[in-house]
Amino acid sequence: MSEKNMKSLTPEMFEFVGMNESAGEEMARERVGFWKDAVRRFRTNWGAMIGLFIILIIGFFAFAGPLMNGYDYESQNIAIQNMEPFEDHYFGTDSFGRDLWQRTWNGAQVSLQIAFLAALFDLLIGVTVGSVSGYFGGRVDMVLQRIVEILYSIPNLIIIILMLLIFEPGIIPIALALSITGWVPMARVVRAQILKLKSQEYVLAARTLGAGHRHILTRHLIPNVMGPIIIAVTFAIPSAIFFEAFLSFIGLGIRPPLASLGSLVFDGSKFLQIYPYQLFYPATVLCLIMLAFNLLGDGLRDALDPRMRK
Amino acid sequence: MDMIKYTLTRLGYMIVTLWIIVTATFFLMHSLPGTPLQNEEKLPPLIRDQIMETYGLNDPLPVQYMNFLGRLVQGDLGKSLTYDGRSVTEMLLEGFQASSFIGMQALVFGVVVGLFLGVAAALRHGGLLDNIATIVAVAGVSIPSFVMAGLLSYWVGVKWQLLPTALWGTYEHTILPSLSLSFFVIAQMSRYIRTEMVEVLDQDYMKTAKAKGLGRQAIIFRHALRNALIPAVTVLGPLAVNIITGSLVVETIFAIPGIGEFFVQSIQVNDYTLIMGVTIFYAVLILVTIFVVDILYGIIDPRIRLAGARE
Amino acid sequence: MARRFRISTLVSLLLIAVMVLSACSFGGGDTETKNSQVLNLAEIQEPPKLDSAKTTDVVSSMILGNVMEGLYRLDKDSKPVLGMAAKEPEVSADQLTWTFTVRDAKWSDGKPVTAHDFEFAWKRALNPETASEYAYILYPIKGAESYNTGKGSVDDVGVRALDDKTLQVVLERPIPYFKDLLCFSTYLPQRQDIVEKYGDKYSLEVDTMVYNGPFIFTDWKHNQSFQVKKNPSYWDKDTVKLEEVNWQIVKDNTTLVNLYNTGKLDFTKLTSEFIDAFKDDPNTFAIYDGSSWYLEMNQTKDFFKNRKIRQAIQLAIDRDTFVKGILKNGSIPAGGLVPPFIKASGVDENKKYRDLVKLEPEFDPAKAKQLWQEGLKELGLTKAPTIELLGDDTTGAKANLQFIKEQLRVNLGADVQITSVPFKERLERGKTQRFDLLVSGWSPDYNDAMTFLDLFTTDNAFNRGKYSNPEYDQLIRKSKENADFKERFQDLKKAEEVLIDDAAIVPLYFRTEMAVKKPFIKDWYWSAIGPEYTLKWTYVETGK
Repeated sequence: MSEKNMKSLTPEMFEFVGMNESAGEEMARERVGFWKDAVRRFRTNWGAMIGLFIILIIGFFAFAGPLMNGYDYESQNIAIQNMEPFEDHYFGTDSFGRDLWQRTWNGAQVSLQIAFLAALFDLLIGVTVGSVSGYFGGRVDMVLQRIVEILYSIPNLIIIILMLLIFEPGIIPIALALSITGWVPMARVVRAQILKLKSQEYVLAARTLGAGHRHILTRHLIPNVMGPIIIAVTFAIPSAIFFEAFLSFIGLGIRPPLASLGSLVFDGSKFLQIYPYQLFYPATVLCLIMLAFNLLGDGLRDALDPRMRK
Repeated sequence: MDMIKYTLTRLGYMIVTLWIIVTATFFLMHSLPGTPLQNEEKLPPLIRDQIMETYGLNDPLPVQYMNFLGRLVQGDLGKSLTYDGRSVTEMLLEGFQASSFIGMQALVFGVVVGLFLGVAAALRHGGLLDNIATIVAVAGVSIPSFVMAGLLSYWVGVKWQLLPTALWGTYEHTILPSLSLSFFVIAQMSRYIRTEMVEVLDQDYMKTAKAKGLGRQAIIFRHALRNALIPAVTVLGPLAVNIITGSLVVETIFAIPGIGEFFVQSIQVNDYTLIMGVTIFYAVLILVTIFVVDILYGIIDPRIRLAGARE
Repeated sequence: MARRFRISTLVSLLLIAVMVLSACSFGGGDTETKNSQVLNLAEIQEPPKLDSAKTTDVVSSMILGNVMEGLYRLDKDSKPVLGMAAKEPEVSADQLTWTFTVRDAKWSDGKPVTAHDFEFAWKRALNPETASEYAYILYPIKGAESYNTGKGSVDDVGVRALDDKTLQVVLERPIPYFKDLLCFSTYLPQRQDIVEKYGDKYSLEVDTMVYNGPFIFTDWKHNQSFQVKKNPSYWDKDTVKLEEVNWQIVKDNTTLVNLYNTGKLDFTKLTSEFIDAFKDDPNTFAIYDGSSWYLEMNQTKDFFKNRKIRQAIQLAIDRDTFVKGILKNGSIPAGGLVPPFIKASGVDENKKYRDLVKLEPEFDPAKAKQLWQEGLKELGLTKAPTIELLGDDTTGAKANLQFIKEQLRVNLGADVQITSVPFKERLERGKTQRFDLLVSGWSPDYNDAMTFLDLFTTDNAFNRGKYSNPEYDQLIRKSKENADFKERFQDLKKAEEVLIDDAAIVPLYFRTEMAVKKPFIKDWYWSAIGPEYTLKWTYVETGK
């Protein structure tokens, strides 16, 4: 304003506050951790919430559904075979007169177990191999890539059929057999992403600041490939359920009279033209599971991807 | 120069990889129960042994293995043990014509539709097209192929009689099988492209491009799509091999003379030569594809240098 | 955010719509008349071996039965009628030496069919180097077995062309069913010059073989389709009315039905899923496939050595419900081992074995339960061990396993675990007694009860449960050499009764398949033995 006022500034007017070392480090806003932030954003994502909700509902029925009518999944009654839903046979009966409600929810249980196990194995092996391979490159990459190539290039049926001959078809052997080759796509996707990211400036910065490989991988790289990883998982779960269904198609699925959704859908598909309800119920549950995982996957990706932080 | 060296190195690795695959499969396969004989169920044990002897199947495994490698080096895959005396190479090539035609068609259709849906979905993030893309993607992965193929064959083929319900011969016969196969491709493509595009469109260099005054089309195709394609290519290569080598389900349901069924049937009947044939055929296709994909990487994204050439 | 709602609703609606669409009922195009003598059929697989010396499978044998002809062929009642044989043979008094006269007939390349063609073909099949998997069907011929197993010489094989038109066959032992055997693929003639000309390409394509049957093989697109046409040089060509028959290779049952419903096929077999859809169709018919299905019990284990346990299992399975409720294909509940189409050979050519030997299936859960408890007591057990039920992994086999498991669970309180494995694995486990109960089936090699009863002698490789009874062994051994066919019949009858009384096996059913054909197909003759069907007499009833 005026020079006069400027001139009237005297040292007495100032007060020495001292130096607060820590104040400079303080954030302008409350520090929000990666996961906390993710959870917050996830909760505002309706699609993901619906997906989660459907999964919870199906999960609930998969375990509680069998308690809801007085039947079980294996008791046969030829007198009421191939009946559309009636009385407390909510989903009707199959060609043995077995209760389809029981079989469907039992099957959902089995399929979910197989899918989660297989996806878990895929995730653990795939992410480890993919990130190590992509990050370190060189000889490590070369060796790991050869292993990936070998697994990728053998028609996986040979391995899976052999596995299932050695171990009798059950939930864990099927999940294991599926992940023997199932982790490979995951590893490839992760590796490609890491290759893309590792030469970016922020990684360079972190390395310059003295961050270790482990820190860079788990703190900087893997969170940034979370998007593709989660998509890969949302594909891994349906593909595990499907591959199990395919095993039913060639006769190697779960051991009867136990059923999985895949084997029920396969059995039902043979009745498509005559008793379509036998396909309808298990297929609907199957589709709902898929839908739910896809919505959930989309939501999780939005929530976990740091680049989408607002 | 680097390129040639790199290619040669990779070729060397491919041969080693192939050898490991051949060896592993050979020994795994021989641990399958039973013999390749057709009438095994009714054959008296004495005669069975004698016939196995005639086919050289009673020799110690290492001997059989060396014999096999010897023939393989000369490019001879041998003769099928099930289809009396037919050459495996001939069987594979014959079947591959049908399988690859259907697969290629499915692939082209699937990739085009998938790309379109993926890009459109990303551009209209949350809009109608995005919803349609999501629906197609979810449907493509949530209906098992035998249900999808069965429904198409029944509805289009039997109920509406628009296209042949099955069999092989004219172009019309290829449409439904290709369509059933393409759903999976569409689903995979559209999802990956959409995800990548959404991310890429958010990047700073996109804003730079816009600020430079580049046209919308140029931005989308020159910058966004190119970057979004990288993960898609990773997925697409092996997917393509999978698709053109036929699908047991689709070929069974549409009665197509392809090779998809060989992958399962050869194992079921212990047709050793055919198992080795399909394994080698498939492995070579995949190995070459992975190699090509890696090369494409360098072209699409200059930041990724060829791993082998660097060190 | 309401948008997200729409996605899920839309997807669900779409999926539900797809499923609902599928709920609508059944319909299809009908072509009930036809104006040409052309048939469109289907087979489940590509013919794997068309070399008659080596062939073992149903499809190849059916084709050979229509494009080739042996000394005899099967007629509408599955009885042997003269084929390449000009007249009934002269048979020596001891039933061992048979002398045939070969008819004046021509191969499709114009050369005459001679007795040498038979001698060559049979000896070729027996040559160990041919590695024929069905050569043992020729073993009734003298010296055949020792030549085939590398012990004897080709010169000692009892088949000789005395001249171009006379074939003399010497048998090892008297058998009442030799003429039936002559209808079998392995007994077909082959041309030495053609076989040698094409070497390992023989019979791989339509033009690397020659034909002497009612039809000639004219087209073969591997894994896709094949075709035969009427053979203009067939000796009985006036009888043959069909001009052309086309087969598509279709593996999926639903696809077969779809093709039938759209008029692309004139015939299809029906699996149990489709029986209900066709139950009011007058054009369905039953095909006896000749096989007998039964449970083997592993008698190397103490638990199944107990006769009461075995009898309990035999009484605990409701085979009537099994056949009507699960199989639904017209199969016949079995009380014995020998299926109903087997002839009472050597006794009465017009009667069936089962007409004379009645064994009805018994189902008595109360008695079964009682025997089970008694058996457990005898074994000193309070609770039965977990029983492993082994079977194939096909859809049909799995259904059977599940039904049997449930029957034993409900009627005996037994804890049964199903193991369904691929075919080869099942054979392997059966062979090495790695099972408790095993679902087995056997198809006949010739039309005589012996082809079944022979199975359960102590040292037979196919007696996988290791049943052993000296009386049974003795009866079978005696019947194999017995030239008194009446007594032989009584012994076989006795043997089967012993087998069932001992509960050596649990007979399940005699398999039948359901099929549907267009009504214009007439005189299509099926056989449970030898070539599956013959088209020699078949014709299309043409529309007006």
